[in-house]
Amino acid sequence: MTRSDEHAEIRKQFPLLAAGTLDPNTEARIAVHTATCSSCAAELGRWQLISGGLRRLPTPQPSPELYERTRAMVAAHLAARAEQRQNRLTLILLVFFSWAVMLLGWPVFRVVSSGLISVFDIRFRQLWLLFATFSALTWLAGGSAAALLSVRHRQQRRLA
Amino acid sequence: MGIESAVLQLRRGDLDALSTLIGRYQNRVYRYLLRLVRQPAEAEDLFQQTWLRVAERIRSYDTSQSFEAWLFALTRNLAFDHLRRIRPSSLDEPFGNDSPDDTMISRLASADPGPLDQLLARERTSHLVSALENLPVSYREVLSLRFEEEMKLEEIAIVLVVPLSTVKSRLRRSLERLRWILETSVGNEVRE
Repeated sequence: MTRSDEHAEIRKQFPLLAAGTLDPNTEARIAVHTATCSSCAAELGRWQLISGGLRRLPTPQPSPELYERTRAMVAAHLAARAEQRQNRLTLILLVFFSWAVMLLGWPVFRVVSSGLISVFDIRFRQLWLLFATFSALTWLAGGSAAALLSVRHRQQRRLA
Repeated sequence: MGIESAVLQLRRGDLDALSTLIGRYQNRVYRYLLRLVRQPAEAEDLFQQTWLRVAERIRSYDTSQSFEAWLFALTRNLAFDHLRRIRPSSLDEPFGNDSPDDTMISRLASADPGPLDQLLARERTSHLVSALENLPVSYREVLSLRFEEEMKLEEIAIVLVVPLSTVKSRLRRSLERLRWILETSVGNEVRE
């Protein structure tokens, strides 16, 4: 390697040396070179001026209320998400409840109302009408319960 | 409360732990965002989104890894998504590629070192900040992570999701480009 090649090779490492990211062996090799080469030492000094400047850049400060705003925003988002989850769960449970009441209730309804059916001579089509009314009432009760739960939950959240 | 215990508590849904983390990292996260997007209002908006994302995704954080690297990677993703949406041109790659062989050293070798010394001695900070802002975003972020956040190259590689060799070459190129901008601005000032 010629002397000028050596300078170029050494100088190529200066940015990373100034960034403090070279391995100790390479750093030592550069230190040996710059100890005897004033122009490379001066060049390294320039890189170190830049890296030193970068390390000392002032830290921009966020506005003082940003911390509180962020905290409040995150809390509100998480609460809204939790409420969504709770509402979804409530709805699923109510759907199950409605189906269960409807399916299990129908045989009971038949047994209890069998006397009435024979007295009024209710035909098959009317029987289905009763079934539909019964189902609609069950679903209506479930829906009302869901709405009431949701309103109550929202009120509790507002009070909290 | 230490960072590790704050992270564990946040995973259990404790919002006070989030306050601890915000308090600890707010200046650094804000500074990093500001270096990336350059606009304080956008940085503040992204700051809020970052902490919301932290609260939502804390369970996906692998506690065996560095929390800082995870936090900055998350911050970076949000900032880049924002830039892609608002100013896609700001994400254009700088000229050249990340190959370590292609360097700006030759260009710098011809620059007169005198004015640079004078400049850095005189109005170092304002010139540096302005030169930094003229760098492409991929250079600004690597300089910020190394010199301001004092991250190791391995941590930077995690944040940027690139190999270690790419971090090194990008760091060198960004420093070379920064110096070139500084020297060019000095040259222009001298001519004026």
